[in-house]
Formats: sequence, structure tokens, C-alpha cells
Amino acid sequence: MANTLIKNKYKIDLVKYKYVWLGVTAVVMTICLSAMIYLMSIQPNHAPLKLGIDFTGGTILQYGVDKKISTDEISSIRTSLEKVGIKNPVIQTTTQMANGEDSEVKNLLSIRTTFLGDKESKDKTSEITNQLKTSFPTIELVQVNSVGPTLGAELLKNTMTALIIAFILMMIYISFRFQPEYGWIAFVTLLHDAIVVMGIFALKGIFFDTTVDSLFITAILTVIGYSINDTIVVFDRIRENMRFLAKKFSSNEIINASINQTIVRSINTSATTLFTLLALYFFGGVTIKDFVLAIIIGVVAGTYSSIFVAGVILAIVKEKMEKRAKEV
Amino acid sequence: MKNKLILFWIIIAITLASIFVLYKKPTSLGLDLVGGSRLMLEAQTSEAVPNITPEIMDSLQYAIENRVNAMGVGETLVQKIGQKRLLIEIPNITDTAKAKEFIGQTAQLEFKRPKPGKDGEMDWESTGLTGNDLKKSIVGSNPTTGEWVVELEFNLEGAKKFSELTKELTGKQMAIFFNGKLQSAPNVNEQISGGKAQISGGGKQGFEFAEAKEMVDLLNAGALPVGAEVIQEESVGPTLGQDSINKSKIAGLVGITAVMVFMIAYYRVLGIISCFALIIYALINFAIYKLVPVTLTLTGIAGFILSIGMAIDANILIFERTKEELKAGRTLFTAINSGFDRAFTSIFDSNMSTIITCLILYHFGASMVKGFALTLIIGVCLSMFSAITVTKNFMHLTFGSKEMKYPGMFGLRKEDIENAYVAEETKREKAKFGVLD
Repeated sequence: MANTLIKNKYKIDLVKYKYVWLGVTAVVMTICLSAMIYLMSIQPNHAPLKLGIDFTGGTILQYGVDKKISTDEISSIRTSLEKVGIKNPVIQTTTQMANGEDSEVKNLLSIRTTFLGDKESKDKTSEITNQLKTSFPTIELVQVNSVGPTLGAELLKNTMTALIIAFILMMIYISFRFQPEYGWIAFVTLLHDAIVVMGIFALKGIFFDTTVDSLFITAILTVIGYSINDTIVVFDRIRENMRFLAKKFSSNEIINASINQTIVRSINTSATTLFTLLALYFFGGVTIKDFVLAIIIGVVAGTYSSIFVAGVILAIVKEKMEKRAKEV
Repeated sequence: MKNKLILFWIIIAITLASIFVLYKKPTSLGLDLVGGSRLMLEAQTSEAVPNITPEIMDSLQYAIENRVNAMGVGETLVQKIGQKRLLIEIPNITDTAKAKEFIGQTAQLEFKRPKPGKDGEMDWESTGLTGNDLKKSIVGSNPTTGEWVVELEFNLEGAKKFSELTKELTGKQMAIFFNGKLQSAPNVNEQISGGKAQISGGGKQGFEFAEAKEMVDLLNAGALPVGAEVIQEESVGPTLGQDSINKSKIAGLVGITAVMVFMIAYYRVLGIISCFALIIYALINFAIYKLVPVTLTLTGIAGFILSIGMAIDANILIFERTKEELKAGRTLFTAINSGFDRAFTSIFDSNMSTIITCLILYHFGASMVKGFALTLIIGVCLSMFSAITVTKNFMHLTFGSKEMKYPGMFGLRKEDIENAYVAEETKREKAKFGVLD
């Protein structure tokens, strides 16, 4: 029997630099949380993210245009829309990727307004389309999304409930399959992943006016369900090694070794998932780009956190538990 | 070895059956892929109707189904959501203004009197008595004949109008028109002043129950005092839908290819095995979509493509574990078996957690989210089968119980094997269930 757990050099020495990793995590968390707090302070509804029509109610009309739309044209569109009584329309354009050449929809022009669906504003949609047709004759209405304000509030409530339930169930499941301390550490890890995704979208909201819809919450739930996988792989190995080696080695050594044993598969599993996600992002449908981006961010954050958040916190907790056991 | 060969042929049989299903059954595509509109209507309460009862919703659904079907645009769907909402899906309609106008119309119920037409044919003219004068309508039965009848109850003004009309038309026919179509033309036997009327069926046997119920639904729908407002709308034009289908196909192919190239480059022969397992996985997965059937939406396809990335994860965990066992100096056969057993707890726990979140998504999500959750659940469950059964079977059949001669086949170097780390044997039973001592 060898004296050390791994003869080869450690790929990463997690335990030695644990406070460095904690520091890195803290910096990222601070940036993400500040972005969210900033949005909470400037937005009238005090939401940490810019909420889309799914939650606030409103209408988004998306038009396919065959040429690029300049900023001048956007402002002229705005004036013409305000003429027909659309107050403060948010106008954005999306340019398709290079493979858009053979596809029919090359550029998307999206117009976000207040809810146009009730009886008073029934004909507004056609009015907007007609207005746009005067300056862009080939324009085509390709997508309409409209959500009434009451439904929006309800959707927000439902998705928040779903998120909270998901977090709690994950914690219970891990506590049940592993040990209580694994459960709450997994919870903190998942919280980290969710905060990174939300923080980056808060930043996107501040700089690019990106809003989040119910698909975004779906993305976060998916990230929670997926990134716990990486954490489980790490925890599973630590649990297995603890069972057989706890008498011979300290918890720090075991955790370090376990992380080094599992790091290749943590990276490889995330890499294959990222391949499919990146393919979706670059080649897939335009309308789900932000959804896929949120999952990509979450998968990367999840891989990082399974090692540098879950591993580090577990090392600190186990070390304390060991010390206490010795004192007794 | 014999069992493994039998299993192999079972897997091949399932795969061939899946290919057969793929050829035979059409894929049902969601509105965001074929183009169409999805409207959510909410029944509005008013002073006259402070509560939306299930009966009102039935009538509303019936009335709206009728109208949507009358548009003649193929497979439409009208579905009750919760207590006072209706979800309407209409394919091929991009201009929702037209659809909304059609659906938002209040149904026209009209009582008409006979009028001689130009060519001596019977014609009808309006009497001013309409569905607005109706309070409600229910299915009843004639106490003497036992026939099913439709009972009408008018409101005050309607009762007055009806009384005058029946006096005028005694001995003649009176027609009930709905949305411009003749529903029935009962004979008026006497003046009716109580504000109540019965419509007995035409023909000799009278109404079938379903017939009477249908009419009641129609009449109630026409007389329904609740309005329905559009509270949500999603419309996708056919060009964007087609564009999404094309792009999803490209994304799926690029994603699968990238995964396969990576797996073969990193895991060599094991990688090739996982590629076959992945192809079988994808075929069975799509066959299940067609059998259930799952309506594929853009997010559903995203769920499928994501599940490909996740399905390969199980293979990676198993391969890594097998490589570790090989490094520890175990024979090929033992290494494969314990690679599976030891990786199983991780695979099981991680897939369970994904399933838990998907179930939550499915329960709380809107229709768009449900599609994603459903495809992901199917994918995760199937990936357990494909990793545990298909990959394992292929590995055993490829390597058998021979000595490992070429570590390169596994992406290992000869010297790795001497550099083994210390691993104690995990008892299979314990490893399987992840029980702590």
C-alpha cells in the first residue's frame, strides 16, 4: 500500500489554496449580486432582473426583415409608432448568424409595447404592421407574444414557487442520499450557480436591455437539475473514499484526492453537454438563444462550483468536524 | 456470453422497431414550428354572472370549439386551463387579428318567422328575438312522451317578446338560427306566456340526448352573458417555424457530431461504442416521441439536444471508472463490471435530481416549458437504459473476457497501469445502493 493517495502530482491542490478559491468565488458573487441590487434600486418594480412581458404583461411583435436596420431607421420607426398611439415602444433588432443566408428570416425586428390584446387595442397590431409596411414593404410579421398583466403576475408567482420547491427538494434528496452537511452544501452550490446566471443576465439587462421570461426560469431550473450532477459525482467519490480511507488519511487529503480523481470526468461531462448547447446557440433557432445562453452559463458555473464551491466548503466543514471529534 | 448475445439481438430488435416507427408515424410538430396561433381566453365575470361555473365553461368551450372548427384550418385545439381559461391552438393562422375577431364574436342566436320566398320556397325573417333575450337553456324531458327536449328560459323582456311571437305564429313554424345556420324549426302549438319554452326534436323519435345537449350548449353559448378576453397570445409565422426546424436540424447534427468526435478522440474504442449507443439512444428516443406522442416544439427539441449531451455523461462516468479500475491492475472483465457498478450510484443520483426538477417544471410550467420538461424526462430515463444496458452489452461483446493487450484502445498508456492508485474493492451491493456504513 502506498503512503499517499495519489502518486502523481495533484492537478489542482484544492485544499492548499482553498481561501484563494473562496476569494475568487466571493468576487464573482459580489459582481453578480451588485448588478442585481443595482437593478432592484433603479427599477420601479424592484425586481433584480429586467422582467419580460411574461411577468409584467405586454406584447412583443417580431417582424422578419430582409435587410439590416440602422439606428436612424429604428428612431424613425419609434416616431411613427408613437403617432399611432403606442407609448414607449422598445425596439430591438437581431441579426442572424452567417448560416442565415439560405434561411428566409435574416433580421428580426422586435417591438415591445404594453399589452395589446384587450378589446380597446385589438386593431393596434394591424396598425403597427401597416405603419412598418410603409417604410419596409417586404416586412413580415413572424411572431406575436402577448401576455395580459394579471396572467403575468400569476406566471411570476408560479415560476418562483417552482424555483423554491426545486431548491428544497434537491437539498432534501442529497441529505437523504448522502449526509445532512452534503445537503446544505449542495444547496449553497446551487444557489451559487443560480446567482451567476441571474447576475450575468442582470448585467445583460443593464447594458443590452435583455429581459427575462419564463423560459429563463426554466433555464435556471434546468441548470439546477444539471449542475447538481457534477456535485453528486464529486460527493459520491468523496463519500466512497471516506468510507475506506477515513482512518488512514485526513479529510483534507481525501477531498483533495477525490477532486483530482474526478476532475477529468467533471470537465468531460460538462464539455459534451456544452458541445450540444453551443451547437444550439450558434446554429439553433433564434428565439431560444437567450434560453440556451442561460443554460451554458449555468453549466460552466455548475462545473466550477462542484469543485471550487462544494469541494472547498466540504473541506472546511469536515476539517472542523474532525477537530471537534479530536477535542472530545 | 450466450445471455449477452441474446441481449444484443434484443437491442437490435428494439432499434429496428424504432426505425420502423420513425418511418411509419408522422411527427407532430408544435405551433412554433409549423406556424400558427395560441390564444388564451379568460371568461370575464360580470354583474349578471359573478361566478364562472363549470357549466358556463363547458358552454364557452363548446361555443369556441364550434367557431374555431368553423374556420376550417385543420387540427385545432380548445382546452380548458384551470377554472376560467381556455387555450386555443389554431395552426396555419398568422394573422391573429382575424382569428381573434372570429373567436371574440358573441354567438348570434335568432328566432325567425316564416316568410314566403321569391320562388315559392320557404324563407325566414328576423323577429327581433335573439339569444340576448334568453336567460338559460337546459336539457329536460317531456313528462308524457319521455322524449328529450330543450327547455328555454327567457328573461323578462324575452318572455314578453316570445309571448307575442308565439301568439302570432300559432299553428306555424318558428325557426331558431345560430350563427346564421338553421338549428331547428319547431311547430308552435299555442301562445306561451310564462317565459319558458320547450323545443321538441324534429323527426319521429325526437332528440337523442346528445343532440339535445348539443343544442343546449349552443343556446347557452349564444346566451352566455360572460365575455371572454384574450389574456395571452403567441403566434408564429410559417417562415419562422420552417426556419426554426431547419436550424434545429443543423444544431442537432453539429452537436451530435461534436460529441462523437470528442468521445472517439478521448476514449478511442470505448468512444466508438458510446457513439453506437448514442445513435441507438437517439433512434429509440425519437420513436418514443412519435408513440406517446410528444408534440415537438422548439424548446422540446432543445430538451432533446440537451439530453444527448447528458446521455453521453453516463458513458463518460462509466468509462472513467473503468479506466481507473484498469489502472489499478484489474482484468478487463472485472474492470468493466466494477466500472459500471461503481459509476451507477453517481448516474442514478444525478439522473434522479434531473428528473425531480423536470417534474417540477412540468407541473408549474406553461405549455412551452412543459414540452421541454417532457422531452428531457424521456431523454434522462432512456439514457439510463442506453448507458446501463446498451453500452455495457457492447463493451462485453467487444472485449469479452480477454486480456487487455492494447491499453491505447482505452486512451491509456502502458505506464499508467503501473502508476495505479490504491483502491479498495467496493462491495457490489453497497456500491449499487450507495449505502453508508
